[in-house]
Amino acid sequence: MNTEKQLTRRESIKKLLRIWSGLSLGGAAVLSLQRPRPSLAAGDAPKFLVDGVGRTEGYSVNALTRKIFEAVGGMGKFVSKGDVVAIKPNISWARAPHLAATTNPEVLEAVIELCQEAGAKKVRIVDHTIHWAKRCFALTGAGMVAKNTGADLVHPRSSLMRDMKLGGNRLDVWPVFKPVVEADTLINLPVAKVHGLSGLTLGMKNWIGAVGGRRNALHQDIHQTIVDLEHFFKPDIILIDATRVMIRNGPSGGSTADVAIMNRLILSNDPVAADARAARLFDKKPERIGFIQLGQKQGLGVYDTAISRHLEVAV
Amino acid sequence: MKIRHLVWLRRCSQAFFLLLFLFLVVESRLPQDYYLDYTQLISGEKELRLEQPVTFFFQADPLVWITSLISGHVLIKGFGWSLAVLILTLVFGRVFCGFICPLGTLHHLVSYFRPALTGRRLIKANQKTNSRKIKYFILILLLVSALFGLNFSGILDPSAFFYRSLALAVLPGAGIGIKEIFDFLARTDIKVLNYLSYTAEVLVSPVFGYGYQAFKTGWLIGTIFLLILFLNRIRPRFWCRTLCPLGALLGIFSRFSILGLSKKTDLCTQCDRCKKVCAGAAGPIPGDAWQKSECLMCLNCHNTCPEDAVAFKLRSPFGGAGTDMGRRAVLGGLTAGVALPFFSRLDGQIHTVSSPNLIRPPGALPERVFLTLCQRCGLCMKACPTNVINPALTEGGLAGFWTPNLIMIQGYCEYTCTLCGSVCPTGAIADISARKKIEEPVRIGSAYFDRGRCLPWSGNGPCIVCEEHCPTSPKAIYFYEDTVRGPAGTRVKVKLPQVDLKKCVGCGICENKCIVKGRPAIRVIAAGESRSVRNQILL
Repeated sequence: MNTEKQLTRRESIKKLLRIWSGLSLGGAAVLSLQRPRPSLAAGDAPKFLVDGVGRTEGYSVNALTRKIFEAVGGMGKFVSKGDVVAIKPNISWARAPHLAATTNPEVLEAVIELCQEAGAKKVRIVDHTIHWAKRCFALTGAGMVAKNTGADLVHPRSSLMRDMKLGGNRLDVWPVFKPVVEADTLINLPVAKVHGLSGLTLGMKNWIGAVGGRRNALHQDIHQTIVDLEHFFKPDIILIDATRVMIRNGPSGGSTADVAIMNRLILSNDPVAADARAARLFDKKPERIGFIQLGQKQGLGVYDTAISRHLEVAV
Repeated sequence: MKIRHLVWLRRCSQAFFLLLFLFLVVESRLPQDYYLDYTQLISGEKELRLEQPVTFFFQADPLVWITSLISGHVLIKGFGWSLAVLILTLVFGRVFCGFICPLGTLHHLVSYFRPALTGRRLIKANQKTNSRKIKYFILILLLVSALFGLNFSGILDPSAFFYRSLALAVLPGAGIGIKEIFDFLARTDIKVLNYLSYTAEVLVSPVFGYGYQAFKTGWLIGTIFLLILFLNRIRPRFWCRTLCPLGALLGIFSRFSILGLSKKTDLCTQCDRCKKVCAGAAGPIPGDAWQKSECLMCLNCHNTCPEDAVAFKLRSPFGGAGTDMGRRAVLGGLTAGVALPFFSRLDGQIHTVSSPNLIRPPGALPERVFLTLCQRCGLCMKACPTNVINPALTEGGLAGFWTPNLIMIQGYCEYTCTLCGSVCPTGAIADISARKKIEEPVRIGSAYFDRGRCLPWSGNGPCIVCEEHCPTSPKAIYFYEDTVRGPAGTRVKVKLPQVDLKKCVGCGICENKCIVKGRPAIRVIAAGESRSVRNQILL
């Protein structure tokens, strides 16, 4: 140090303390409540439901994904130039894609490409995984997709969890994985599979992977908490991956014997309709699935049968 | 080549190996890029493995090789490196200590960078003392103990000691401190500080990861490490002179080396400079007997002597003073070495008792063999992605001190992960494939319910988080619907979870994710582990 007077150890400690207290005071002064992202998918937008079917052997999942978005006017309807897009796939389990525990990486890749073609400034893949994130990213293919497309793969961590006011019937304040809400457009990209407690894991339940805290406790009132989370997150669009579907041993699976090939995608801007449609793939009546029924009752959306604009595309 | 250059060569070599060691410690975790070709994974054949040869320093450590040979009767992978080190020692003396050993280098740095002692006091501290015999006592104790089936060498072997201290105490300790700063900055709601913390967190994540790591007895490991560094203030390279069993072993092997210190008494002016710089207290000054087995081959005396009265020269292997171990050290080491393995079995862990908490990593060998090989180095603990593997305190008894032990409330064993076995330097944990682990299956224990705590069983409402997470297919946790008595005598309809012992592998994710924290409502005990014949439950 070449100042005139050398800084002694004691003095430097004092100085550090002063800076520290200044910082913490400053932090406290500007503390404010986080506002949730204003939703674009308001109830006034016309509801639609599109079935995508892969009919031919070895069809391109990418082409099917593109076609299903074309049917509703393209990704440009949801993503504007310069948007930050958050995509919430289900990559919670460190399982290879063919085991159907996680969102098909080909679908994920196609959706990211579409967002980028629509002019998105940044695309983030966000999921608070159940297994260790690094292994999930490696095994589910999400890591490779991020590399191929240049999308951000956000590693979930405590510094990105933030207490937010959900204002639900059951959940009031709960830690939320911040990058999910800090986006202009939010896309829900779940995989359809069975679940021991809620019956099925579909679009609405995917939001359990967007919160932190004691989320295992949510199972004690699973249907209401799922609906509360859907109310809070309100994605702009939902694309359910049912290209291959876990029909037993869900939600973790682990064997190809648990998997059925369905070659289906479901696109909607109505979370209840999308989930109801997916439930039928499992030969289940939507009104028998607690969170779908509750979602309709609490005004999240309507069953698939109530949607007038029901399209089907195929490759 | 002038001696000045040789000393610089030594410094460069020391720096290189110390940095290599640090690098390998940091790299003992899954590679940073998540980018695996998932299409290759569909076959299920691709294993997640570390990219760097993280066991290199254990392979180059003759003590690890010899103890695993005489104790577990196996030749460890890559033992050629330790063979090379031994041959090097036979020819040139303890050059490993002076040129290569990373822990020795650290002690060298601490001792000489800002020495605590100067002048006469330093010269006095560099005198030969009887305490040097302690290391021979330790060596003989470890070797004899290993011969009788308890391989304790890793407790004081420099590679294992240094690795354990860095991986389980220094790095995680620093990591926790840094992480707390990040979390604090993230909470401030000042945008600049938020971005600063996110960016910095990503930048340091290759070293510290993203979480708060925890290691049982980490505080003890760290304290011992600091204490041993502190000892350098009493005497330079205290550890190397007094405690290091590997140094003792190499000292014995250096007996007939051909590189020796030749002294010219007539040239010496008794300036004592050589004594001041001698790292090993090996008696470099003409007039004293040069202690071949104590000399760390740092070449300082030769480099310092202004009169060229001492110089390293090739010469007859029979010169110099022999290794003076001292009768007491030898006899004491023998006695203690015989006693320790049998004392350590008095807790019955090997013959009669099965400790429920002694859960070993998947692929761990049967307990008796395991104890002949485990170096307690902490490699498996560092590499484990979920932080479930911890150094045992009492779970394995005296013999199992600091051996790997799975604590399920801290992590869980990833169903498809076999990293711990792939990094084990001695094969105490077998290097199994994920396919073998799943298909055989390799069980590490079994889960059981504590119905009084379990939400559905105790009538406190629905849950089955354990069933959801169970990774086997079909699931080892199943449920049936029934009504149970809830609070105030109400009848509650719930799904009641149960464990199918035939399918349970003891991975512990159920215990880890159970909503009841601390002592969960479903817990894993070692009973049922594949590695033990005695510890089976089912017929």
